[in-house]
Amino acid sequence: MNQTAMNNPRILSAVAVAGLALAAALLTTTFVRANEGPTDVQGPVILPPEIVNLPVEQAILTSPPHVPPPIHRTYAARVVVNLEIREVVARLADGVEYTFWTYGGSVPGSFIRIREGDVVEFHLNNHPSSKLPHNIDLHAVTGPGGGAASTFTAPGHSSQFTFQALNPGLYVYHCATAPVPMHIGNGMYGLILVEPKDGLPPVDKEYYVMQGEFYTTGKYGEEGMQSFDMGKAIDERPPYVVFNGAVGSLVGDKAITANVGEHVRIYFGVGGPNLTSSFHIIGEIFDKVYPEAGLSLPNRNVQTTLVPSGGACAVEFKVDVPGTFILVDHSLTRAFNKGALGMLKVAGEPNRVIYSGKEIDAVYLGAQADAGSDSAKREAELKKQIAAEIKSNPAIAGLTKEMQAEKGKQVYMGLCFACHQPDGKGLPLAFPPLAGSDFLLADRDRAIRIVLKGLTGPVTVNGQIINSAMPPQEAVLTDQQVADVLTYVYNTWGNKGDAFTSDQVKALRNQNH
Amino acid sequence: MNFLPSFRLGVLALSLLAGGSVAFARLDAKLVTIPAGVYTPLLRTTKDAAAVPVAAFLLDEKPVTNAEFLAFVTANPKWRRSQVSPLFADSSYLEHWAGDLEPGPKAPPGAPVVRVSWFAARAYARWLGQRLPTTAEWELAAAAGYTQPAGRTDEALQRDLYAWLARPVPAVLADATTARANYLGVRGLHGLVWEWVDDFNTAMVTGESRGDTGLERDLFCGAGTVGAKDPTDYAAFMRQALRSSLKANNTTTSLGFRCAKDLP
Amino acid sequence: MKTTALFLLCATLALGAETPPAGKKDACCAAMAAAPFSAASLYQTDVTFTTDAGQPFALGALRGRPVVLAMFFTSCGYACPLIVSDMQAIREKLPAGIRERAAFVLVSFDTARDTPAALAAYRGQRGLDAQWTLLHGSNDAVRELAALLGVKYKQEADGAFSHSNLITILNPQGEIIHQRTGLQGGLDEAAAALAAAARN
Repeated sequence: MNQTAMNNPRILSAVAVAGLALAAALLTTTFVRANEGPTDVQGPVILPPEIVNLPVEQAILTSPPHVPPPIHRTYAARVVVNLEIREVVARLADGVEYTFWTYGGSVPGSFIRIREGDVVEFHLNNHPSSKLPHNIDLHAVTGPGGGAASTFTAPGHSSQFTFQALNPGLYVYHCATAPVPMHIGNGMYGLILVEPKDGLPPVDKEYYVMQGEFYTTGKYGEEGMQSFDMGKAIDERPPYVVFNGAVGSLVGDKAITANVGEHVRIYFGVGGPNLTSSFHIIGEIFDKVYPEAGLSLPNRNVQTTLVPSGGACAVEFKVDVPGTFILVDHSLTRAFNKGALGMLKVAGEPNRVIYSGKEIDAVYLGAQADAGSDSAKREAELKKQIAAEIKSNPAIAGLTKEMQAEKGKQVYMGLCFACHQPDGKGLPLAFPPLAGSDFLLADRDRAIRIVLKGLTGPVTVNGQIINSAMPPQEAVLTDQQVADVLTYVYNTWGNKGDAFTSDQVKALRNQNH
Repeated sequence: MNFLPSFRLGVLALSLLAGGSVAFARLDAKLVTIPAGVYTPLLRTTKDAAAVPVAAFLLDEKPVTNAEFLAFVTANPKWRRSQVSPLFADSSYLEHWAGDLEPGPKAPPGAPVVRVSWFAARAYARWLGQRLPTTAEWELAAAAGYTQPAGRTDEALQRDLYAWLARPVPAVLADATTARANYLGVRGLHGLVWEWVDDFNTAMVTGESRGDTGLERDLFCGAGTVGAKDPTDYAAFMRQALRSSLKANNTTTSLGFRCAKDLP
Repeated sequence: MKTTALFLLCATLALGAETPPAGKKDACCAAMAAAPFSAASLYQTDVTFTTDAGQPFALGALRGRPVVLAMFFTSCGYACPLIVSDMQAIREKLPAGIRERAAFVLVSFDTARDTPAALAAYRGQRGLDAQWTLLHGSNDAVRELAALLGVKYKQEADGAFSHSNLITILNPQGEIIHQRTGLQGGLDEAAAALAAAARN
């Protein structure tokens, strides 16, 4: 609506009348068929003239991570909210499906944005295909149950109630039908923002993120359709803790974005039903956190902010350098093992004064290694003696090597065989042979180095040039495993050679080249 | 345990259709004897009995099907979709049927009839000289497991029940006979459709008659577990919530019914 | 006797508060009696009750009068006496001319103990005149009426009932036009709704 027109009282009332007619049309069409027999409803509230005469608006609802546009009105309005409950099957993780109970078809539910003082006519529509009755408890409501009793709605029915938004803030809404933890645990939560009368500071980007946990019968990643596991819910042991209703919902192409220099605000809520979040963005400092989402006095310069189940906060920060910034619950097994991870991708020019990137990488042995302790020295001496002892006893040395080769075979058959083949012959022109390989057998240290650090580019093996790439394995294999697998390779398929030791590997692992 | 299957065989619904043709529908629904037992209410106040004795009674082996309900509306024109009063059934009554006397592809003959109101379910039962089961009777029969008397400790039943709760309502319901019979020989009490009970409108009342806000507390927001016998029985909470959300003329896509009868 | 009452009421309904011209009475009532109940009329129910005088009673007999209706039980120690008092208060708030035409109906939850005789005794204790109808019904009938009104109720272990506190206003067609829930306030609105329905 036009701002200028609104400032003129006469035009205002005309617009209001038009708005009312529009709202009436919206209400009486489509979904709702009224007068379906006797009920215990109390009938529409009779509003005083000063409220009846307020302009009427249809609320814009958005699904996550999007947020409806800021409200620029300087006066209260009657806002009509139409929220539809649907029970939908959707992706929880790759290969994992779940029946989510949703407000508006998404988890979290539609974001609702109103202004302090607005009078909200709230319609909750429970889709006919729903199996269950549902309702809504909006924490923004002042009144018993937050609207829960007034919106208790059977499948295929619609409820209406009206409330006035008395307090500004960012509020969680959720289903409050028994058993409440199951309704929330299946995704029935969302956020409603009541903007303060004076508005919020303008920012360049606003996003909507909510954390919630899912109690599936299967463990994390177990494929197929998953059901709600009541036992895990009662024990508060969720296999999934996620942002925006699924593992990876804010990752890759679905990451939220910003450009260097922009101010970003994230409306962050926790649906729960049980866990409190330690919300953190790796590599960012929140310039402002509106703690517990009161939207009045922000805390400044915050690293991690605690957001309780059924609570929210708004965080603001300027992005100064480009890169990917990871959103996590800093209770980190949730991020690492259960899915509570999202991404903010910032585009723009680097600023190496603020953040240089890696400048130097050098060997560091530490003070202890320099001086050496008596104990370490003694241990090294003993190891040497044992090694010499073993070498001088051919029987033991032979057995040790054999055992190492067996262990190495297990590593080989798990990791190497796919390219170099179980018979060690490789694949012509793609992967070099190891059986009878002159290149391999010529240089033991080089062999260790290749296993650790990988090798890219052309090599000549038995007179054939092979241009290929082998990935480094130093992150995957221990020193002992590298020694074992090389011992296996050097003593199989007709190859002959001494055993490799983990010390030899260790020495090369720490080398840079 | 002694099961006495009695049959309402040969109940013949004969009716003259508008066009003058004659429709026959034989209703051969089997009734199963539910032995006397004790129903423990989910929610209870200090004024309520902890255990409600239930006399032995007869209960339909499976929920009423589309074919059976067709016979009823054929014989009773006032319960046809086009003629039913909105007082007794809301506007989605039998909405998935192709026509007044034609269930059609979305309502196979052997599938449970849904989108029926409490009034319609009751009228059907009365037409057969039967009645709807009470909450206590229904819950007593439904408390049985597949292979043992107590369903709460029957893992297979619990798994099926929660798996069903986790799935949306299918567009076309399965045949009622596909439901696995429980220990008492009753099929589909869990995992097929919700079912009306005669006293569904006790569900919200918990003993505080001094104002309706006192009642709300018992159903909404956390307070749902106050005085609950077993707050981990989520499925029982869901049945309770569903019953209390309904008005007697309501119909939903997953709500059917079955009949009961006193023992002769 | 019932016929006469209906006769007069039909006439009053059709022509407002004015005294009807004598010649039109018959035509009016014939039309009323023949017309089916409206789609939202509670009088479509086929359940019947028994009055405290032991007479069978169909709710449709109330057709043509505005009705104040509540469900109760005589041994109720708290809410029901207040509900009866509130119904009396509603009566006092009705404008003259309508007040006399309204019907006040009490239907008992307690099918076992509130026999017609027990209801007759209650009528005496509370001083309820002929404008009041007190009804006893079978479990089936009471359950159905409760369902029609949206009343939830349950018998407790000691035989008392927990129940919704609801006063329902029916228009002369038997349609629910207003319900007062709970025990606080709302009497002016109930009286206004009834008066408006009676004038229409």
